[in-house]
Amino acid sequence: MARRQMKSALNTRLSSFQKIYLLLIAGFILGPFIPLIIQSFAFRWAWPDMLPSTWWLEQRDRSILPLAWDYVLSPYSRVWEATLNTVFIGTVVTAICLAICLPAARVLAREKFKGKAAFEFFLSMPLIVPEAAIGISLLMIFIKLGLAGSYLGIIIVHLIPTIPYMIRMLTAVYQGLGRDFEEQAMILGASKWQVMRLVTLPMLLPGVVAGALFTFLVSTNIFLLTFFMGQGQIITLPTLLFSKIAGGTLDASAAGITLVVTIPGIILLLITERFIKEEAFGKGFGN
Amino acid sequence: MKKTLISLSVTATLLANTAMAQDADAVAFRDAFLAGTATWEDVQARAAEEGAVNLYYWGGSDPINIWMDRVVTPDLAELGVTLNPVRITGTKDAIDLVLAEMGSGRGLGEGSVDAIWLNGENFATLQRQDALFGSFAGMLPNSGNVEWNEEDPRSLLNLRDFGVETNQAEMPWSGEQYVCATNTNRLASEDVPHTFAELLTYLQENPGKFTYVKPPHYVGNTFVQAAVYAHNPDGTGAEPFQSSIEDMGAEELARLIAPGLEYLKELDPYLLGAQSGNALYAEDNAALDGMFLNGEVDIACKFGLYAVATGLNNGTYPEGAEAFVFPEGNMIKNKNYLAIPANAPNPAATLIMVDYMTSVQAQVTKLQFTGMPPGVDPWTLTDEEVQALTDASPGLIGVTQAELDANTAPDTNASLVDVIEATWLEYIERDSTDSIDVIVARAVENLAQ
Repeated sequence: MARRQMKSALNTRLSSFQKIYLLLIAGFILGPFIPLIIQSFAFRWAWPDMLPSTWWLEQRDRSILPLAWDYVLSPYSRVWEATLNTVFIGTVVTAICLAICLPAARVLAREKFKGKAAFEFFLSMPLIVPEAAIGISLLMIFIKLGLAGSYLGIIIVHLIPTIPYMIRMLTAVYQGLGRDFEEQAMILGASKWQVMRLVTLPMLLPGVVAGALFTFLVSTNIFLLTFFMGQGQIITLPTLLFSKIAGGTLDASAAGITLVVTIPGIILLLITERFIKEEAFGKGFGN
Repeated sequence: MKKTLISLSVTATLLANTAMAQDADAVAFRDAFLAGTATWEDVQARAAEEGAVNLYYWGGSDPINIWMDRVVTPDLAELGVTLNPVRITGTKDAIDLVLAEMGSGRGLGEGSVDAIWLNGENFATLQRQDALFGSFAGMLPNSGNVEWNEEDPRSLLNLRDFGVETNQAEMPWSGEQYVCATNTNRLASEDVPHTFAELLTYLQENPGKFTYVKPPHYVGNTFVQAAVYAHNPDGTGAEPFQSSIEDMGAEELARLIAPGLEYLKELDPYLLGAQSGNALYAEDNAALDGMFLNGEVDIACKFGLYAVATGLNNGTYPEGAEAFVFPEGNMIKNKNYLAIPANAPNPAATLIMVDYMTSVQAQVTKLQFTGMPPGVDPWTLTDEEVQALTDASPGLIGVTQAELDANTAPDTNASLVDVIEATWLEYIERDSTDSIDVIVARAVENLAQ
C-alpha cells in the first residue's frame, strides 16, 4: 500500500532524469554495503570469484574457533563493550555540551560585547587545528593529571570538537527566535522560570534536538582523540574497528564489525527524522 | 600517524628531565626480586594486593584474541591474577605510551603498561631509553623451559634479540621462522625457486608474480636481510651481521650489503605492478596474504612456521598453498618476547603472568589456538611435554622440520637493520643514483644523531 503510493508519487513527480539521479545516489550510498554483507558471511572469497568459494556456515562446525558472525557476536570481539562505551560517552558528552552551549549561544546571539567577533572566531579554533596536534599535547597534560585512560579524560577531549559545532547551531537557532514571544509572556505575568520552561525551550527544541544528535554522532565517530586518551584500555566502536582493519584487509569478522558499527548512527538518524519532522516542528512552530 | 608518533616520542624525550616519582614499596620489591632475596611466595603475596595486569599486545588476529580471553584470562584468575588484555594496532604505540609516561615522571608502580609483546627494534628502544624492569626472566620458576647457557649455541635466540643482548629483560614467548608459501595450483613444483637466482629467472619468465612486504616493516626488512646474507661477497652469510654498526663501521657494511641491494634493484622491475609503473609492495602481512589469496602473486613470504596450515584453517590462504625452502641456507629465524617496562604498575602480578606464559601448558594451548610456534626450547622439556607440543601443532605443509632446521639463519643486529632499511628506502624506493657507499655513510651519520 505504502509502497504503491510511493511508486505513484515517484512516477508523477519525478522526471526520468531525476529518477536515474536518485538511483545513482542510492547506489552510491547502499552499494558499499553489499560486498560488506557478503564478506561477513564468507570463509574464503578470492578474486576473481563473484561470490565466496567457501561460505562461513560450511566451515562453522569444523573450526575450533568462532568464525565470522560467531566471532562478532561472541564476547571475544568486544563489540558489545565497545557499543556500550560509545553510547555512554556520546550521551554524557551531549549532555555536558548542551549545558555549556545553551547559555553561551544565548549570549552570543543576543548580546553585544567588545571583542565578540574575535571571541566567535576563537570558538571555532578547535575545528581548524588538526586533531592530532591537540591530542598529543593534551595527552602529555592528561598523563600528568592522571586523566589518561579514564572515561573522564575521553569525555573532556570529545567536548573539544563538539562544542564549536553545537554553539554555532544553537546561536543560529537563538537568532531566529527573536525576543518577542518571551517579552509577551513576561508582560502577561510569567516568571523567568515559566518563560524558560513554557516558551523558550519548546521553541528552541528542534534546534536543540538537531544539535544534540549531531553532537552525539560526532562523538561516536571520533577516533584519534579517543585512541590517544583511551590508551587502548577504553575501546569504542571506532577504535575497535580501526584495530580490526588496520591490517589492510577486510575478513569476515571485520566486515561484521563494520556493519555493527553503522547501527547506532542509522538508529539515531531514523529517530532524528521522525522527531524533528513530527514532534518538534509540529509543536514548536505550530502557530 | 607515524609522524604523530614521532613527535610524541620527541615530546617524551624533552620531558624526560622531569624528576621521576616512584612507588617506594614497588621499588623495594623490584630490588629484592632481582637480587634474588624475594621468594616466589613473596611475589604471590604481593600480586594478591596488586591490580589487573595490563598486557599490551597486537590485537589484529581473532585467534590470538580468542585465546587470550578464553584460555589465558581464566587460567590466570586461578593463579590469583586478573588479566587485562589490551589490544593495540601497533606495538610502537605501547612503547610510546611507556616513554611518554616516564617522561611525565611516572615511575615504577605508577605507569599503565605492565607487559608488552615485542621484539627487535621496539625492545632495543626500551633498552636504549633505560625503560626496562630488569633482568627478571632467569628468576622465574619456569625459566628452566628456556636455554640460557651461553656455551650452548642454541641459546642465541634467547640471549640476543635482533643481535641486541636481551640481558634477560624479556622472556621468549614464541619462536618464528621466515617461510615462503606458494600456491601449487598456479606454480608447478619444478618451477618453485629455492635460491634468489632462481627467483629472478622465474620472474623474468612470469613478471609481476611476486612482491615482498615493504621495509621498514620488519617482515620486509627480513626479506632484504635474507637477500643480503645470500649475496654476502665473503660467502660468510649471516655471520658478520651479528655485530653492531659501531664495531663494523659504515664502509665494511656498505661492502657487505652492496651485492644484495644490487640484486634487489635488478629484481625490482619484475615485481608486482612494475610492468605498468612502479613496483607495488605489500604494506604488511595481512595485505600480502590478500594478494596471495587473490592470486596476484604466486609466492608470499612472512614469519609463519605454521602459516600455511593456519591460513587454510581460517580461509586466508588459497587451497593448494604449500610452504617451501627459500632461500636455501638463509631462512631467518627469530623469537618474540614478553617485556616488562620500568614503570609497570603491577610488577608482581606481571611476573606471575609471564611465568604462566612460559609454562608448557600455556605454550601448548597457544599453539593449538593460534598456530604460534612455541618460544620455549624443546630440549629442556620432558618427552611428554615435547609430545604435547607436537600434538598441538597445526603441522607443516610442504616442508619438513629437518629442512627448516638445515636452512636456518639468525636475524641481523638491530643497529644494522636501521642502516640497511634506510639504504633500501634510498636506493630502491627513491631510486637514488648515489653509490651504496655514500648512502650507507649518510644513513649511519643520520642515525647517529
